[in-house]
Amino acid sequence: MMQKGRRDFLQAFGNATLVAGVLGAGLLKPGTARAVEFNRAAFDAKTAADALRLIGAAGAEASRDILLKVPEVAENGAAVPIEVVSQIPGTTRLSVLVDKNPFPLALQFNFAAGATPRFQAKLKMAETSRLRIVASAAGRHYTIFRDVRVTVGGCGE
Amino acid sequence: MPDPIKLRATVKGNEGEVRVLMPHPMESGLRHDPSGQLIPAHYIVSVVLSLNGRPVIEGALGTAVSANPLFAFQLEGVKAGDRLAVSWVDNKGQRGSAEGVFSAA
Repeated sequence: MMQKGRRDFLQAFGNATLVAGVLGAGLLKPGTARAVEFNRAAFDAKTAADALRLIGAAGAEASRDILLKVPEVAENGAAVPIEVVSQIPGTTRLSVLVDKNPFPLALQFNFAAGATPRFQAKLKMAETSRLRIVASAAGRHYTIFRDVRVTVGGCGE
Repeated sequence: MPDPIKLRATVKGNEGEVRVLMPHPMESGLRHDPSGQLIPAHYIVSVVLSLNGRPVIEGALGTAVSANPLFAFQLEGVKAGDRLAVSWVDNKGQRGSAEGVFSAA
């Protein structure tokens, strides 16, 4: 699984020298983040279920220790502000999925020692959808979701 | 060439607050131009944030991140004068990077 993930990641770039640079710059400190490599194939998944499976979080358990701040009603689907904080000890990765987007996996961040597992970002949401966060800690996955109503979608036109 | 990255790094106590704006179209590949032609996908796929040369946050992005991605992060054990670097790579192999120094809030 890890090998496959790495291959997909490499293929996603398709340029050996570029990849060497990215991996060289991007390798987090060993031991603090085992899950250094992202599975780029998960970003091509067309359903949230497939994306969750490809990031290894199909069996994520619900958690109240992930805080998700997002508007209940987003007037502009092109830029929906979110803030995510994981209070789960040892969180090394946060992933964001928008169920009804053409490609549900929106982004993933790995956090090494010294980085608090929290971030703010802005997302495109094609339509009213469930927004899911997955926090990964010590090989386990936790999740929280929120339904967001979008009045003007932000993908097509 | 895209516009330069805007980076703000401030310290309060030993907590560092980082805000980074990376000008980029983040085209999803699903939109059409006025003549009906599909606009090819063009988006950042990878972001790395380093503190004093050590990568601390690494991101993988998809097409659902808004145009001109704006992120905020928090780092621990940071003091004024610490160096921050951010770099990105997009799906066409283009790159951007910027460096900054933490200053007291």
